Amino acid sequence: MFKYIKYEIKGTYRYILGTMAFVLMLITGFYTYLVNASRAPINSIGFVSLLLGLTLFGTAVATFLYIVGSFRKELYEDRGYLTFTLPLTGKQIVGAKLTVAFIWFFLLGTVFPLYNLMMISIFNAAVHNLTEIFTAIAQVISFKQALFFIFNTVLKTSNFLLLVYFSITLSRVTFRNKKIGGLWFVLFLILSWLMSYGETKIASLLPYYLNLNLQSNNFMLNQLILNGMTLDFFHTGSLTANIASNIYVLVVTVTLFLATSYLIEKKIDL
Amino acid sequence: MNNIVEIKNLTKIYYDKIALDNLNLKIKKGKVVGILGPNGSGKTTLIKILTGLLRPTSGEVLIDQQKIGVYTKSIISYLPDRNYLYKWMKIEDACRLFKDFYADFDANRFAELLDFMQLKENMKIDTLSKGMHEKLNLALALARKAKLYILDEPIAGVDPVARDQILDAIINNYNENSSMLITTHLVSEMENILDEVVFLKEGRLVSKGNAEQLREEKGKQIVEIYKEIFAQ
Repeated sequence: MFKYIKYEIKGTYRYILGTMAFVLMLITGFYTYLVNASRAPINSIGFVSLLLGLTLFGTAVATFLYIVGSFRKELYEDRGYLTFTLPLTGKQIVGAKLTVAFIWFFLLGTVFPLYNLMMISIFNAAVHNLTEIFTAIAQVISFKQALFFIFNTVLKTSNFLLLVYFSITLSRVTFRNKKIGGLWFVLFLILSWLMSYGETKIASLLPYYLNLNLQSNNFMLNQLILNGMTLDFFHTGSLTANIASNIYVLVVTVTLFLATSYLIEKKIDL
Repeated sequence: MNNIVEIKNLTKIYYDKIALDNLNLKIKKGKVVGILGPNGSGKTTLIKILTGLLRPTSGEVLIDQQKIGVYTKSIISYLPDRNYLYKWMKIEDACRLFKDFYADFDANRFAELLDFMQLKENMKIDTLSKGMHEKLNLALALARKAKLYILDEPIAGVDPVARDQILDAIINNYNENSSMLITTHLVSEMENILDEVVFLKEGRLVSKGNAEQLREEKGKQIVEIYKEIFAQ
């Protein structure tokens, strides 16, 4: 699988690094413009945040489409003749695609916020160094919360990507006609709805929550939290996670991985 | 066992079209076998099933006594009828990929084949002409010491000079311990390198045999036998 990961990275790094370089230049441009325009340190981060937010959102969408496109090409273009004749199992192929998607999301998701913070520390006189920012963040978020946030992000991202991969693969297996290959998106919407419905239903049937606050380490029954919400930081002012719905998402994610791998290995007709 | 390929009652149906109809075929080790037939006779479908790109509707296929899977993919060297290499690659990247995935890939042999085909390692895949693609794909396929080579229309759509180069490369690099399956409808160009021939028509096996014996029995070249079968 690692050999295949190597070639997946080689095939996609130009786009990712190119996008990253472009966005970093754009971020630098935003900050430089604002500082020069006011001839003073930035007082309001709001405007910059909005522009940056839009830029980062656009980049995330473009990267997502690129990564999804890379998977789709295997099933609809001639490159599949190479990929699917390599001595690899379906799990290895899907695992490699997922791993590389993660590597890029992680890279972009780390570099952009860090670069933003660096820009703030350079251009904003109120913030002298990055240590101050990290100290402030550490005061708000506990280690346990950060750990759960990482786990939840990895789980939800895997689930989302695998749902897309599964929809594309199922669409290819069911409809061999390349012209209606776009049906994967309809399948994706239906499956996403089913997935969310199941998650909400399970959370309401089993309303047991993991308390992620510093005050308590115990599992607790928390009736105040809205059904289906795995994280309810804003409603209750506390960070909690529904145990059953998280297990459900985990099980569905593993099932999607195995199902996509099976379809790729045993059912795809190129 | 003496057979590298065993096909039992193989059927492949696309919606309402029967591409392969209850095909039975055994291919012995160490032979160069031509799968002959016009367009739409099921040649490519058969090859795609052998390489694991298509699934049979029914029937059984064994390669080296194994069902189609990771092992069979590791012992088959496949030349598809299209440009299947990743577009971002240079020729040297394709060489590295084959070296990484196939233990039987011989990089020195590949370098010799590239030289013979007048290709350079630093050429980009997406800048190659159809003939160059065909030559590169063949160089990659023949640089392996595979148990089974499967070549799908290796000389279709290339100019006569490239055809000769490709045929020379096949003849000079064929390993006698291996087996080779070649599909083609350009019979006259290929018949001299074939030990055995299999004629496919509308997904059915209509005739097969040793190429030399068929020539002697019928007093005709394979291409004439081909015309006789498919003109009907």
